[in-house]
Amino acid sequence: MKTLLHMQGLTKEYGKEKAVDNVTFSLNKHTSTALIGPNGAGKTTILSVLAGLLKQTKGSIVFDGEITEDFRKVIGFLPQYPKFYSWLTALEYTEMTAKLSGVDAKIARLEAEKTLEFLGLGDAKKKKTGTFSGGMKQRLGLAQAIVHKPSLLLLDEPVSALDPIGRREILNLLKELQASTTILYSTHILNDAEEMTDQLLFLRKGKLVEQGSLGEVQEKYANPVYKMYFSSSEEAARFVEISPWSARQEDSIAFIHIEEEKPLMNEVLRVLSDSNLSLSKVERATASLEEIFLQVVNKG
Amino acid sequence: MNNFSVLFQKEWRENVRNFKILWIPLVFLLFGISEPLMNYFLPQILNAVGNMPEGTVFQLPEFTPEQIVMSTINQYQFIGMLVVTLGFAGIIARERKNGTATLLYVRPLSYISYVYSKLFIMCILVVGSVILGLLANLYYTYVLFGSVDAGAFMGFLGTYIVWLLFVISIVLFSSATFSTGIASVVSLLLVIFVQLIDGLLGAYWTISPWKLPMYAGGILNGSVNMTSFVWSVTVTVLAVIVLLAGAVYFAKRNVSKTKI
Repeated sequence: MKTLLHMQGLTKEYGKEKAVDNVTFSLNKHTSTALIGPNGAGKTTILSVLAGLLKQTKGSIVFDGEITEDFRKVIGFLPQYPKFYSWLTALEYTEMTAKLSGVDAKIARLEAEKTLEFLGLGDAKKKKTGTFSGGMKQRLGLAQAIVHKPSLLLLDEPVSALDPIGRREILNLLKELQASTTILYSTHILNDAEEMTDQLLFLRKGKLVEQGSLGEVQEKYANPVYKMYFSSSEEAARFVEISPWSARQEDSIAFIHIEEEKPLMNEVLRVLSDSNLSLSKVERATASLEEIFLQVVNKG
Repeated sequence: MNNFSVLFQKEWRENVRNFKILWIPLVFLLFGISEPLMNYFLPQILNAVGNMPEGTVFQLPEFTPEQIVMSTINQYQFIGMLVVTLGFAGIIARERKNGTATLLYVRPLSYISYVYSKLFIMCILVVGSVILGLLANLYYTYVLFGSVDAGAFMGFLGTYIVWLLFVISIVLFSSATFSTGIASVVSLLLVIFVQLIDGLLGAYWTISPWKLPMYAGGILNGSVNMTSFVWSVTVTVLAVIVLLAGAVYFAKRNVSKTKI
């Protein structure tokens, strides 16, 4: 897979405070990457540097093989709360942003119409943006970000302000876009990241603390567990007591952490049959992204 | 000047749709018309509503047409400049503060085009309104007080437009550099307060942009010191160039202050 962007040692300082500290990562073409971290981790700062709104203190960015300072021609940017000129209609606004991004004036209107149609705003294109609902604003925000067909799409918390239906719609649109562009987005809603991502970048206090594909991170952080459902919490507690493996208990469920594929299920069942405990269900589970997030963010 | 026309179209639509294109000319027209009318009809107005005892006679000075035009300029110099400074102090700063500028700044636009689109719309609104107001004023002055020499009036108008460009540049520079509130204060101080200081202490110097309205009046009644006038115009034009270059510089520098 070809690399579209490589960020090397990016640092952004505000006085003595480091908002982003020596962050290095690459984005492959036509992939989507999630920047994950708690508030203040540096997600928006990284996106702002790429969008040309902030200048890094240190570090270089190679775009398509060349060291670049100004990405404004090749990116589309959607801030977390996009703000529009309330006195322009959706079509006027999208057409204006298309022209400003370098789309030929002759086809800018057509492109704007097509984009609004694609995002489901075809009926509202003649309405002033000041009358738009939250979901419509997010779509219009996306429209201005993609109307000029950028090779890199930067999205800051693209769905966190939306209701579940709006979130689902925008996520589906983003998945469609993935085929034609490279997406870098920040989020703290981990279900979204789990759903739409090729690469995860975990940030904490400006530092990149973990990166990899969902599978890689899950493998590294979450050893699988057996989730064993007992009829009462006393039984679960007794099992944890007699278990020769590292185990813990939550209510009536006992967890055995599996390391290097040990123990095997039949060993566990043997211990169970010796103990006369009544087991109702056993599951082999992997940790959710949320559990990994908490582990990564809390470590160190 | 890439993108200038797109940005200018946006400014134009904004000022049409928020009615600035209507109310700013109206303010200047109102003062332009009311000044000759008020001066002409003052005795009748006082008689009708002044509650004066029967037979009171006022000895009002006879105004020359030039004096009427200049008293209009005095109105413009206070209320007109107040409208310009407060009406446009947010022209760049407000966009930054409310976040609408963010989606402009992430595009490959030239900041020269960006600032000049604002400059052009301000020139159209402010200079256009003043010309409109003064032409209306000239008409009523002509009807009620007599004619003003056309050549002198053109010289006066040209000089006053240079002063207006200076005011516009100050407002634009402040808005590019500071937040809306501070930009309003700085513009007001530089336009109205310094003007007062120049009026009070200005006898000690003759070359100053703030003296241009006075020199404009001097051209109108043919009593201007050409050397001081030419130097003042030169200094003002230089100041305009510096202020506009500063506005472009700070508009670009303050991109990071836009709300994301």
